Amino acid sequence: MSRFSKTLMALFVGGATMAALAPAMAFDRYQGIGRPATASEVKAWDIDVRPDFVGLPKGRGTVDQGVELWETHCASCHGAFGESNEVFTPIVGGTTQDDIKTGRVKALVTGDAPQRSTLMKVPTVSTLFDYIQRAMPWTAPKSLKPDEVYAILAYILNLADVVPADFELSDENIREVQERMPNRNGMTTDHGMWPGAGAAKGGIGNGGKPDVKNVACMKDCKKEVQIVSALPDYAQDAHGNLAEQNRPVGQTRGKQTGTPAEQKGDAAPSAAAATLALANEKGCMACHGVSNKIVGPGYNEILAKYKGQTDAEAKLIAKVKAGGQGVWGAVPMPPQGHVKDEEIKQLVQWILEGAKAQ
Amino acid sequence: MANPMRIRAAAKDGVTEVRVLMSHVMETGQRKDSSGAVIPAHFITELTAKHNDKVVLSAQFGPSVSTNPYLAFKFNGGAKGDKVVVSWVDNKGDSRTDEVQVA
Ligand code: HEC
Ligand code: HEC
Repeated sequence: MSRFSKTLMALFVGGATMAALAPAMAFDRYQGIGRPATASEVKAWDIDVRPDFVGLPKGRGTVDQGVELWETHCASCHGAFGESNEVFTPIVGGTTQDDIKTGRVKALVTGDAPQRSTLMKVPTVSTLFDYIQRAMPWTAPKSLKPDEVYAILAYILNLADVVPADFELSDENIREVQERMPNRNGMTTDHGMWPGAGAAKGGIGNGGKPDVKNVACMKDCKKEVQIVSALPDYAQDAHGNLAEQNRPVGQTRGKQTGTPAEQKGDAAPSAAAATLALANEKGCMACHGVSNKIVGPGYNEILAKYKGQTDAEAKLIAKVKAGGQGVWGAVPMPPQGHVKDEEIKQLVQWILEGAKAQ
Repeated sequence: MANPMRIRAAAKDGVTEVRVLMSHVMETGQRKDSSGAVIPAHFITELTAKHNDKVVLSAQFGPSVSTNPYLAFKFNGGAKGDKVVVSWVDNKGDSRTDEVQVA
């Protein structure tokens, strides 16, 4: 749409009173250009169907009629059952009878569905009517008559079990269908995507506030941007050592993570990282994971068991040195006599401090 | 019991095209849930399609077939009003049979 006609539309949306004012406002600025749109011209543009059903044309259509129309106009792209994933994500799928009851599609919350279908997302049936009427079929938009849109929509809704197979959808019962839309309660308004005033001032959204919470830096700011590809420190150990989890053959090698090896060059490793390296070197890591059992318990399990016990450190130092069994199961830990006493102390303290990688 | 299949069969020039959308989780047995427990395998193992009473398609399915499988096939013959019956059985012994008339 050109900027010019956009201005006109903005003026005319308000209806007849605005239209009467329009010449004085718009055409003063564009002297001698164009003429006011006539009422019927405006009507031809004004095809939107709103969530409150203002703009909905009268009409009706059955699921059976919808099947025929769908086969002719829509199935080639969207699949016989709206399931096709070829030109676009599926129209139907991923909704349940329970969703129809609650009005919130559970798979959107749990992330269970591999993909989001139209019927999973759309909260308002009016939007489907509007979109199909205005934009589909892709190759011949606005070619469908209102009765045809009702019939096709009835078929789509039947595919999702929102309406029964013998249903006739019409301008009279579409409100009842709205009450069965699987995601009717899934719309959020508390974000900046809504135009106009925020909810506090009688509008819908938050008044256009963006989601990002960027705070202007006022002191000690970075002077230049440095682009790097690196894991942030806090994420280093998120998935253990990636290098160990990749096959040693082929092109791809995992990055060393969670161990000091990945620490960048000159910076000296932290005490925790050095102890982790020691645990690797002394073979503790062959039997203990930081957060998982291997042969022996995970360090986090050990920490959880002894947290707050004042004698834990001494007890565990003795246990590691001498080895033993029975606390975590029948499998024994061999005596770790090859490790120096102060190193055992360092390792046990490290375990009791959470076995951190950094 | 499993949800019904959606089936459509249309005859044209002596060939009937059948399209079927099944409703099934098709769980592979390879996935784990959020607590780390393996989700047990649950998938269709066999599928049969009959035209009137004659078997026109018999297929073995396995865990590599997607959730809610979609199947399309054609067979020679078939006329408007004939019956097409599709059935499946899964590894837990559940089964489902649905039919349509050829359009
Ligand atoms: C030539 C291919 C084609 C045909 C035929 C077609 N569509 Fe579409 N449809 C598309 C494409 C492509 C999109 C995505 C458009 C976009 O996002 O801009 C789409 C999107 C849609 C959507 C919106 C989905 C969403 O979640 O945003 C609906 C609903 C829809 N089509 C219904 C229909 C109906 C009803 C018919 C038959 C009257 C039909 N389509 C025919 C290609 C097609
Ligand atoms: C051969 C495998 C193996 C090696 C190597 C090993 N451990 Fe163990 N560790 C175990 C087993 C098994 C247990 C559980 C023993 C039990 O149930 O009493 C255990 C238990 C522990 C405990 C808890 C003891 C308790 O009584 O709760 C600590 C602490 C510990 N190990 C630290 C270490 C340290 C530090 C090293 C390296 C110097 C190390 N382990 C090397 C197998 C091993």
